[in-house]
Amino acid sequence: MFIRLILLILCLLAGAARAAEPELLEPEKAFKFSARLLAPGELEVRYEIAPGYYMYRDKFRFGAEPSSITLDASKLPPGKVKKDEFFGDVQIYRGDMRFVLPLALADDRVSRFVLKAESQGCADLGVCYPPQEQKAEIRLAAFSPAAPAAAVSPFAQPAPGAASRGESTSEHTMIAELFKGGFWALVISFFGFGLLLALTPCMFPMIPILSGILVPHGEHLTHARGFALSLVYVLGMAITYALAGVAAGLLGTMLSSALQNPWVLSSFAALFVVLALSMFGLYELQLPSALQSKLAVTSNKLHGGHFASVFAMGVLSAVIVGPCVAAPLAGALLYISQSGNVVLGGSALFAMALGMGVPLVVVGASAGTLLPKAGPWMETVKRFFGVVLLGVAIYLVSPLLPAVAHMLAWAALLIAFAVYLHAIDPLPHGAPGYRKLFKSIGVIALLAGVALLIGALAGGRDILQPLAGLRSAVAPAAAAPKFQRVNSLSELENAVRIGAGKPVMLDFYADWCVSCKEMERFTFADDEVRARLSQMVILQADVTANLDEHKALLKRFELFGPPGIVFFDRAGTEIKGLRVIGFQSADKFAATLDLVLR
Amino acid sequence: MKRLPQALLLCAFAVLFAGAGYLVYQWRSSDLQPDPVTTGQMVLAAKLPGLDGKPHPLEQWRGKVLIVNFWATWCAPCREEIPGFIKFQDQYGPQGAQFVGIAIDTPERVEPYAREIGINYPVLVGGLEAMDFARQAGNRTSVLPFTVVIDRNGKVVTATVGVLKPENLEKLLKPLL
Repeated sequence: MFIRLILLILCLLAGAARAAEPELLEPEKAFKFSARLLAPGELEVRYEIAPGYYMYRDKFRFGAEPSSITLDASKLPPGKVKKDEFFGDVQIYRGDMRFVLPLALADDRVSRFVLKAESQGCADLGVCYPPQEQKAEIRLAAFSPAAPAAAVSPFAQPAPGAASRGESTSEHTMIAELFKGGFWALVISFFGFGLLLALTPCMFPMIPILSGILVPHGEHLTHARGFALSLVYVLGMAITYALAGVAAGLLGTMLSSALQNPWVLSSFAALFVVLALSMFGLYELQLPSALQSKLAVTSNKLHGGHFASVFAMGVLSAVIVGPCVAAPLAGALLYISQSGNVVLGGSALFAMALGMGVPLVVVGASAGTLLPKAGPWMETVKRFFGVVLLGVAIYLVSPLLPAVAHMLAWAALLIAFAVYLHAIDPLPHGAPGYRKLFKSIGVIALLAGVALLIGALAGGRDILQPLAGLRSAVAPAAAAPKFQRVNSLSELENAVRIGAGKPVMLDFYADWCVSCKEMERFTFADDEVRARLSQMVILQADVTANLDEHKALLKRFELFGPPGIVFFDRAGTEIKGLRVIGFQSADKFAATLDLVLR
Repeated sequence: MKRLPQALLLCAFAVLFAGAGYLVYQWRSSDLQPDPVTTGQMVLAAKLPGLDGKPHPLEQWRGKVLIVNFWATWCAPCREEIPGFIKFQDQYGPQGAQFVGIAIDTPERVEPYAREIGINYPVLVGGLEAMDFARQAGNRTSVLPFTVVIDRNGKVVTATVGVLKPENLEKLLKPLL
């Protein structure tokens, strides 16, 4: 048993040791931006800066549209001083950064505005990101004088194209905040946090292990002995976490970034898949029975040895459960590694693990009476756990997967889950209520899975709105105007000839071209712009595939790639001076179009 | 130990999935990497304004070992590596090495800096749209510095994100010259 687990851990470590070189985050992930209204006249801007990245304090610029709203960005909080060889001492921000901007409203009728935030940051690896502008749409309606009570539910929605906000409070920032309290307050909070974690599927793998420890004693298990055994087990787990906390203090930020490493994530996901497969009965992991015999032998010999092996099981369990609680763990480890406070870090993690262990100790102290009794229903529960474990595996690797693979994985899981729940088998006559309930759940899962599958295949990439792609295909008029596709010079010439008498616009586009997408969302979709475009022939060359025809087309216009918009007059010759390269706002672009239409 | 085969099975599973995860990761990273020949052509086909305001086609340096460095005055790591480039331009220029800087910046800021530090190779200025160009050349996250080395046949040899260490660059350049 032990050899097996140790082998497993060794091969996981071997995988992690050959880690790939660190991957740079997309700017919107490295500097996750969001904003919300705290109170009338107070706008909270937040940047969740990824570990290993930082932003320059003096590079922030804030603006609002419409301009009747003014923001005061003169009092940004002081940052950490960074000595720079070239710039002298500069102030930088790291971690979860929030600040409040006073907001002045010249016009009461404004119910919403767009916050434009310009910023610039770098990564410790030695690269910098160009200045970026991020946008968020802020609604003021919640704070109209008529509804002051609404002040508790301020909200902001990111404008399309702005960095998505994600969960409102991610676990790891919650933890970072906790650390601001006193020592004992902190330890107690961590204990409570552990209690919460005990309710998550992370603890599933521990239940069979614990029952394996308790069951061999059978009828002879006393409350005291059960309590002692489970306590030793939980202590083993807790001390492992405490050591992790101390190690974080000594190792620095390395550890938390290691948790984000693709190798580590995939290995942990693999472990969960392995555990899940055993839940489905594909093979018997036999964790409890193997342990039973081992424990039966040792406990007959000497008690100390028994406790030691239970303790060791606790240590190993901590390693197994570790990845599942990686998110809160990363937050805690990050803080500890930055503060270097080894005692605090160790105590906090110890308390957290104790909290996680409370339900296990309760089960132990009940001398096994609270342990679920074996029976056919256990199979159903096991399968359910299996599905949840597979879900955890998908969740763990989701940052590494393209959106399509992510959606397909969820679709496959949901559909398989539905089939296990007999969603597509007919219900026997007079079926008991719970079977009807299971079937209903199964049908819901089946539909959700099918929706994801169809959405993914239809080009939808949003897991929460898988079918959004289909919707826009039905009503394209709502979005950017419809372009006629051209793929080669001859197609272009044809299109220009057919459209004779109308000016022609040719837009070069590629999937990787950021400004092309911005143009599509913010400029082409603008009513003013669309009104003008409707008087023209509008062509688009999607050169994502970079075929020879595409290259010829680009070469003809001496462009090296998108973005690039070329205009032709009514006679079909190019208007040389009017090319638009890069993003142009709707007003500016409309003015350009006026020149073309003149 | 009769449980050993099971342990091996578990191990094999873990390795399999980790491997699969890694492959997906690799595939994703190489996803947007265009092939060296077309990227080289694209870079050479570019035309950007110099500090004199006139457009300069990169085509004029075809046949040389071209080192195209994307940088900016606001980027500290970029400023760190430029003195090395100046040295190498002096040292290997006669043998056919040609450095070209593309600044994601404004001429007003680039010009005094280039003068102060004594940049001895052409500097072109592109706005943020030049970043799209760098992105197409393999700079997936649009960061600076980013350096593309193109051989005499117009093929991209390397595209490096982040600071290019002088010793690495030297190792790279020597066989190309």
